[in-house]
Amino acid sequence: MPERPDAADLLATARALLLESLLPALPRERQIEARMVARAMEIAARMGPPSATVLEGATAMIRAGHADPGQPAHAPLLAAIREELRARCAVSDPRAIKKDTP
Amino acid sequence: MHKAALEGWLSGAAGAPVEILSMARLSGGAIQQNWGVEATLGGAPQRWVLRTDNAATLAVSRGRAEEFALLRAAHAAGVTVAEPLFCCADADVAGAPFFVMRRVPGTASGHALAKAAAARGGNPALAAAHGRELARIHRIRPPREDLAFLGSNDFIAEMRARLDAAGTPRPALEWGLRFMERNAPPALPPVLLHRDFRSGNVMVEGDTITAVLDWEFSGWGDPYEDLGWFTARCWRFGQDGLEAGGIGSLADFLAGYAAEAGWAPDPARVRFWQLGATIRWAVIAADQALRHISGQERSLELALTGHMVPALEWEVLEMTDAGTP
Repeated sequence: MPERPDAADLLATARALLLESLLPALPRERQIEARMVARAMEIAARMGPPSATVLEGATAMIRAGHADPGQPAHAPLLAAIREELRARCAVSDPRAIKKDTP
Repeated sequence: MHKAALEGWLSGAAGAPVEILSMARLSGGAIQQNWGVEATLGGAPQRWVLRTDNAATLAVSRGRAEEFALLRAAHAAGVTVAEPLFCCADADVAGAPFFVMRRVPGTASGHALAKAAAARGGNPALAAAHGRELARIHRIRPPREDLAFLGSNDFIAEMRARLDAAGTPRPALEWGLRFMERNAPPALPPVLLHRDFRSGNVMVEGDTITAVLDWEFSGWGDPYEDLGWFTARCWRFGQDGLEAGGIGSLADFLAGYAAEAGWAPDPARVRFWQLGATIRWAVIAADQALRHISGQERSLELALTGHMVPALEWEVLEMTDAGTP
């Protein structure tokens, strides 16, 4: 096990220093870059091991109409897509799913 | 750039002696360059913009002549664009083909416009002005010999091809495309689509549009595609309540369009194409991230754009019949 603090802690601490201490000292036109760096650190801190959800063959099924309403695959495939997407949103942009957290 | 060679060519093109007083790089990325040119034409002062490509990017050098043809067609149709003046296909004059257009005042910042519009509860006049501009663009119809280079697009097929080329399965976008395929109303006869007509690509000064910019994605297609693009949530710059580009209401925007087009778009169909817009922006954003990931153009901005894709995919699902009940 690596020495603590872990990756998420390091990124969060570094990000706080960047936003609270360095950003105000930057000229206004460079502040956007500091905000981008902070955003990258925020996303990276939320990244865990890859999700186990596999959506093998979904593209072909959907294009062929085999997941259209009324097809047996419709509901299960939609549920799997949602689950996989919810996991990716939780890392990249949790605000997107805030109103949908089960 | 050799000033003397440029002056010589411009004098020939203009039919009167051109003297360049100053040239300064305005903006542009790795591909295009824009130069502000202060000059005199037969002694009369001129403010121009010279647009060219970096000499290394030969593959896209034909693009400037095509962009010039589009600007001419738009200008002739009464669209508010920077007046295109001269086009030089000879790469020896300035290092790459270029064209010259009149310089117009104004700024193009989607965020600033949306913020200003929201502070006054929406800007109906500016929203309507955008509608009128788009209707003027859509008055240009095929066939056009001067625009023969433009392709016509089958939206769904194009999006699927781009997803296949990118190589990452995106079932939520597939779901949205299949929903469009099952529910699309028959397409209207093709018109000239700008295909990136959104706040941020339109120069504005005060409440007046001074130029429609960025014509590189134009093609023939269903006018509703452009209407959906302008009004989709992803181009409202944080002002979700102002459906028309974060500037005004959908009704104000469509009223401006109808006044110029002579027909009134159906708001339900515009919203249907907001789904198309969200899918297309997700596809483009994923491609932009790939430019970073592949090493073609390492950039934190491109990298972060990739992380916008999951939320866009989520929005796509919500806009179909898969939406959360």
